[in-house]
Amino acid sequence: MTSHNKVNPLDGILLVAILAGAAFVAYRISDQLEYTWNWSVIPQYLFRYDAGRGGYVANLLMLGLYTTIRLSIWSTLLACLIGLTMGLFRISGSLFLRLIGRTYVEAIRNLPPLVLIFIFYFFVSDQIIPVLGVDALERPGSSFAENALTFLFAPPGQISGFLSAVITLALYEGAYITEIVRAGIESVDRRQWEAAYALGLSRPQQIRHVILPQALPRIIPPLTGQFISAIKDSSIVSVISIQELTYQGQQLVATTYMIFEVWITVAVLYFALTFLCSMAAQRVERLMMARAG
Amino acid sequence: MKLKSRWMVVMLAAIVLALAIPASADDRPVIQQIKERGVLRVGFDTFVPWAMKDKNGEYIGFEIDVARKLAEDLGVKAEFVPTKWDGIIPALLTGKFDVIIGGMGITEERKKKVDFTDPYEYSGMSIFANKKLAQGFHSLEAFNKPNVILAVKLGTTAATAAAKFMPKAEKRQFGDEAQAAQEVLNGRAHAMVASAPMPAHTVYKHKDKLFLPLADTFTKEPIGMALRPGDKATLDTLNAWIKKAEAEGFLKARMDYWFGTMDWESQLK
Repeated sequence: MTSHNKVNPLDGILLVAILAGAAFVAYRISDQLEYTWNWSVIPQYLFRYDAGRGGYVANLLMLGLYTTIRLSIWSTLLACLIGLTMGLFRISGSLFLRLIGRTYVEAIRNLPPLVLIFIFYFFVSDQIIPVLGVDALERPGSSFAENALTFLFAPPGQISGFLSAVITLALYEGAYITEIVRAGIESVDRRQWEAAYALGLSRPQQIRHVILPQALPRIIPPLTGQFISAIKDSSIVSVISIQELTYQGQQLVATTYMIFEVWITVAVLYFALTFLCSMAAQRVERLMMARAG
Repeated sequence: MKLKSRWMVVMLAAIVLALAIPASADDRPVIQQIKERGVLRVGFDTFVPWAMKDKNGEYIGFEIDVARKLAEDLGVKAEFVPTKWDGIIPALLTGKFDVIIGGMGITEERKKKVDFTDPYEYSGMSIFANKKLAQGFHSLEAFNKPNVILAVKLGTTAATAAAKFMPKAEKRQFGDEAQAAQEVLNGRAHAMVASAPMPAHTVYKHKDKLFLPLADTFTKEPIGMALRPGDKATLDTLNAWIKKAEAEGFLKARMDYWFGTMDWESQLK
């Protein structure tokens, strides 16, 4: 084990080469690019001083980050529901249900998410959102309801857009979760089904009491990975003007013309978020492994 | 088992049916809906200094002033729905907001899809160029050559104007004005076409790299508010408001402030 951790001369040479490459790129950028860097104004777009409240409050980019987090959490939760249902469809005894599950997965996975978003936002959301009665949520009566809605979803006026985005992302992520669920269930030994059958359990009982409890520990680690994907994929909904991190970045660039400072900051924010999540995911995975023994 | 899957089929059929029945579209004039709701929903995209966010996250700009005043005079609240420019007409048509007040130039192409009010302002196309690449270029003809690269924002009348007045030049379209401007600064495009006063502002900020090849704007475009088509009651109300705002000198005063001065710049950074 220790011999693997030693640094050998080749590593040193590689490190020097990588640093030289990075320095060359940095030099090219500073030399070739007609660009005036101005990092000093960036922090105020993260947090600004609010004289009215006498303290610092989140500004554009942090608000965007919060929206990204809300969007990822809600869409992953909904996607888990879709994924579990469709995953069970995929392994169902009925040909009809298997066909539905298969069609869903193939249709979604073979479409670029961007195209899916446009179709969904401009055609489908008009049909679904009014049925859900979201319009009433747009203008809540009390300020408590408004604050709660803003904290959980989006400020009034942006809720139907936010929900369209959540549903679209959930449909997209759901296809991948379907496959995760299917793979998890199929990884359970065939004989477990037979044993459950021999005990006289009906098929739903077999799934609920025997198969799923065994499949779940195998489903959860890839699911946490899918959550990280959802965070990254959520940037696509900036095209339908959902005010998440990428959209706020675009708007800030359009007003301040500070292309590089803004995008580098946005990248750092995304990275901080996904890196934290992948650390947590590793923990979960280790926990599951330890439990499984 | 059989029974269950039959239930599933029924449920799925119900969902499909619910989707197939179009949402009961509100046929009443938009103006009536606005008054009942107490909120005027305005669609726009970021264009400095038409509409933008200041450093506190508040919307400011000429169009924002116009929309706020219009809402105030209608006795309702203005709600701003920022929307990407290339998707702004579909968003209006699918009812994401009531009206576009966002410096939209009235064109025949757009008139096929939306109704425009009478013009409430005029804008003109201007051009700024890279000093090194476009040295000695002082007319549109100078830019109308196959080896000249022009940067424009996607879906704007600047893109149309560039295509009309400099058909031979190569156009590069960008989603944001900032990216297009950066392309000229970096010397990857000769010039950028955009609505005045953006080119003059940009040259002012980068005097050593950029210049204005033409002293004046080369088009004059009427700007109108855009509505979903066929809504005469709302169109009449807005036209009457524009007439009044013009007579009161409100529009002229706001234009002088946003396009004639740079006093607002400290609000951005």
